[in-house]
Amino acid sequence: MSDFEAVIGLELHIQLNTKSKMFSSAPVTFGKVPNSSVDYYDFAFPGTMPTVNKQAVIYALMMCNALHMIIDDVLMFERKNYFYSDLPKGYQLTQEFRPIGKNGYLTIKLNDSDIKINISRLHLEEDTCKQFHTKDYSYLDYNRAGIPLIEIVSAPEIKSGTEAAKYVEKIRSIVTYLGISDGKMEQGSLRCDVNVSLKRKGDNQFGTKVEIKNLNSISNIQKAIDFEIERQSELLCSGIEIAQETRRFDESLKETVLMRAKVDNVDYKCFTDNNIPPIKLSAEFIKAAIESSPELAESKLKRYVSLGLSESDASIILDDKDIANYFEEALASGCSIKLLANWVNVNVKSFINKRNVEIKDFPIKPNELSDLILLIQNSKINNVQAKFIFEKMIETGKDAQTIVEFMGLEQISNKNQLLNIVKKVIKDNSKSISDYLKGRNRALGYLAGQVMKQTGGKANPQLVNKLLLEEIQRRK
Amino acid sequence: MGYMSKGLLEIHNAIIKGEITPLELVKEAVSLALNDDNNAFEYICANEALEKVKRLDDSKKDSLLYGVPIVIKDNYSTKDIPTTASSNILNGYIPIFSSEVVLRLEEQGAIVIGKAAMDELAMGGTGTTGHLGMTYNPWDKSHKRIIGGSSSGSAAAISAGITPVSIGSDTGDSVRKPASYAGLVGFKPTWGRISRHGLFPFATSLDHVAYFTRNVFDSAYLLNILAGRDDKDASSSFEKVDDYTKDLNKSIKGKKIAIIKDIVESISDKTILDSFYKTVEYLRSKGAIVDEVEMDNKLLKAIYPTYFIISSSEATSNTACLDGIKFGNRVEGKTFEEVMINTRTKGFSSRIKRRFVIGSFSLFKENQQELFVRAQKCRRMIVNAFNKVFEEYDAIYCPAAPSIAPIVGSNNNNLSNEYLIADNYLAYGNMGGYPSITVPIGFEKNMPFGANLSSKPFQESLLLNIANILEEGTELKDLVAK
Amino acid sequence: MKEITKETLKIAASKMMFELSEKECDELMSEIDIIVSEMNLISDIEGVDDQEPMVFPFDVTSTYLREDIPTPPIDKKEALKNSKDVVDGMIGLPRVIK
Repeated sequence: MSDFEAVIGLELHIQLNTKSKMFSSAPVTFGKVPNSSVDYYDFAFPGTMPTVNKQAVIYALMMCNALHMIIDDVLMFERKNYFYSDLPKGYQLTQEFRPIGKNGYLTIKLNDSDIKINISRLHLEEDTCKQFHTKDYSYLDYNRAGIPLIEIVSAPEIKSGTEAAKYVEKIRSIVTYLGISDGKMEQGSLRCDVNVSLKRKGDNQFGTKVEIKNLNSISNIQKAIDFEIERQSELLCSGIEIAQETRRFDESLKETVLMRAKVDNVDYKCFTDNNIPPIKLSAEFIKAAIESSPELAESKLKRYVSLGLSESDASIILDDKDIANYFEEALASGCSIKLLANWVNVNVKSFINKRNVEIKDFPIKPNELSDLILLIQNSKINNVQAKFIFEKMIETGKDAQTIVEFMGLEQISNKNQLLNIVKKVIKDNSKSISDYLKGRNRALGYLAGQVMKQTGGKANPQLVNKLLLEEIQRRK
Repeated sequence: MGYMSKGLLEIHNAIIKGEITPLELVKEAVSLALNDDNNAFEYICANEALEKVKRLDDSKKDSLLYGVPIVIKDNYSTKDIPTTASSNILNGYIPIFSSEVVLRLEEQGAIVIGKAAMDELAMGGTGTTGHLGMTYNPWDKSHKRIIGGSSSGSAAAISAGITPVSIGSDTGDSVRKPASYAGLVGFKPTWGRISRHGLFPFATSLDHVAYFTRNVFDSAYLLNILAGRDDKDASSSFEKVDDYTKDLNKSIKGKKIAIIKDIVESISDKTILDSFYKTVEYLRSKGAIVDEVEMDNKLLKAIYPTYFIISSSEATSNTACLDGIKFGNRVEGKTFEEVMINTRTKGFSSRIKRRFVIGSFSLFKENQQELFVRAQKCRRMIVNAFNKVFEEYDAIYCPAAPSIAPIVGSNNNNLSNEYLIADNYLAYGNMGGYPSITVPIGFEKNMPFGANLSSKPFQESLLLNIANILEEGTELKDLVAK
Repeated sequence: MKEITKETLKIAASKMMFELSEKECDELMSEIDIIVSEMNLISDIEGVDDQEPMVFPFDVTSTYLREDIPTPPIDKKEALKNSKDVVDGMIGLPRVIK
């Protein structure tokens, strides 16, 4: 391998979660009865014509903006002509000549350094129908036909499986934060085709490209590429030429396997679709689309760090957009960001993992969690009490304040009240005092425990420690 | 009886006066259609029409189309009525929706009584290539002469007096040429003026909804009903819709009309030329300024090949949905590719296949620049040349065809000026999307022939005005082949 | 441009998913000379290649975009009634080999 470097390009197809299809007003649905979400156009009945979905265009503009692309303010669509069982019209409407976005980039973090990956183009197109195969027959479901897709094509400058995985993760994060797609690879709403070739270090000559298809998870993208680089370099080292072919990743073998040898590039005989006149996007329309974009993870991260959260804690929160939204809402209710991150990353996640539910099913609302944390911050309760209250909140659906009041759990922070108890404990435990004075620090813990016992666990621990030390000092 | 030989106004007045009922009109038209001997029909909707006329909505009584039988070319989608575009590949196809044109006509109370035969998939100009065979010209009882195409059945139905109007489509000259051969008004409004939704596409950038009537007034009236934006067709125009009947009788004094010299000069038929120049004198007598204008002969000769390459190329894509899977005449095979290949091999005639091969070849990456794209460039030059004429003139006026309806099988010299220019120049109207109308101007050997007027996009009111004045002069209106 | 031979015509046909019989192929070959002469009428025009290709008849630029409001889907039975091979509400085909 050391003699070669990999040249990797990724083509991502992402289903947009609009309400209607790209070119017809049939509803976009998932998992519905086959052929129940179709319009005449989706079946390619002669005489039906395409109309462009405004929301899909807005989503594409949001994505172009997030990827720092140059936006084309005239929309045109071309026909990519080929015959296939899953292609109702015998052509796919796509933006071959004038993609809505071109020449953008994104940055990924690898070993603490930022790597910029250029993106050649982003265009709008339509999905094909779904095929189900049995042993000798195939079945067509047109519900998927016409669902809006954006295709994002990276420049061929990704160098490793890890980089590719980071790139896809970043794109996935952006589309989910923008709310334009659910970005689920396993369900096919984000699909990835990979081109891998090797070239000799320092050489300008590109090697033969091998395409890898049907990758259904980010980790498989990484594994497939790593395997493919290894495979190709072994072949090249033994003087065997790389064949131009399409391969797929076999999960059980953890290898790429040959799907088909690639004949010459398919000639799609592209030309402009005349049913859709050129559509001029006004500057105001583009601006409004961009301004309607929700905040991306990258910008949230910066904001959280500026509020005092560590980058690693923030990243863990931002990994999952739904959890991040929960976090954001709780934060808006005024609690400490650090305490909140800790509660979300530890207690909330452990609950949803244990119960195998999603954050939207978590019984404590974001503002209620914030209220609980505010009680800690304001020394109304201590951590031990807080955990107890947290469980009770889940159990009963009641808010923290109600539980605190109902169970009389409010923390004792009244200095005079505590001082009396502290004095009594010191009087009753003279041995411990002398132990402490001899340097046995543990004795202080024992004394604090006694105070807690006397108060039924409600004493403010910080205040107890402070008072104990003051009293002991005084008696020295 | 005999109302089906009249124009819309006369029929309407008869209904208003109670001389005849819509049901009687439909029965008359259906019976004439069933007795048609010109091979004009793909399908006669006898029962459907009778059902519909019984449920006719009174509130539309004021419409001139109320209760009026009409014929629709078989490349318009009609709900629950078989639609094949005269191609075997669509045998058995029964659409589940109606095209916008049909919906708008039916909304006015018109009753579809039949689907008209046509050249297969609208790709042809003779009316001889549909899967049911040749459509005859009703003016020639010996059945030797073609009526022209591709809207052959639509033209035959109205010129034989079966219905007063019929809908066709026009991609090169498919309504305006048969109109000339059949003694009819054939009108193709501006590209985008009428929704194409439901019209089976042949060459999208050239396809137009077009129709036949017996007089210019009826054409104007139909446009009032059919023109206007349809959100289902993104290419349909937002341009304001006029009352196209209101300016029909306006004076044409001072209107400037151009005759393209090279087009007229490529015609050798003396009778046609004489009649044509008589009409020119008449237009002048009405105050129009008519000038002969030169145009680059090479450009005129390039109209046909330019049209042919663009239309054949676009057609390959527009017909790619015809694979037998979702609809149409599926032929089985061992793999899905075999199903597609068998269906298409059996479904398309040899002629259509040859056209598709040229179209496909013109789009190949290695040929596209030299063939398809170069044709698109040539299209711009042609349209620029006509636009230049329209900068100075309100209309362009020329004979619609160099001859009366030819005898079937007569050979053309495909590289002669007469063939390349006079016989095929009308496609300029499709390339530039101009509104364009053919009206009858004379007879030769008892066969009619017409001339064509075109104007700038969306100038339909002016165009119909000139056509109407011309019609007054020729007195050739409401012609029916007897 | 590729030279037009029977072979290229057959390839063009196969890309269009139909077969040309020998007879059809011969017929087409006999028309090719005329077609090529007609095509030359275009390439003979001076300055043709300096033009921008014309894709629409005139400037038809629009700003219309469809609102993202779904309409009721078409009835499934209706949608499928024109297909000759429907199994369990889906269109059937001999197995598509992936």
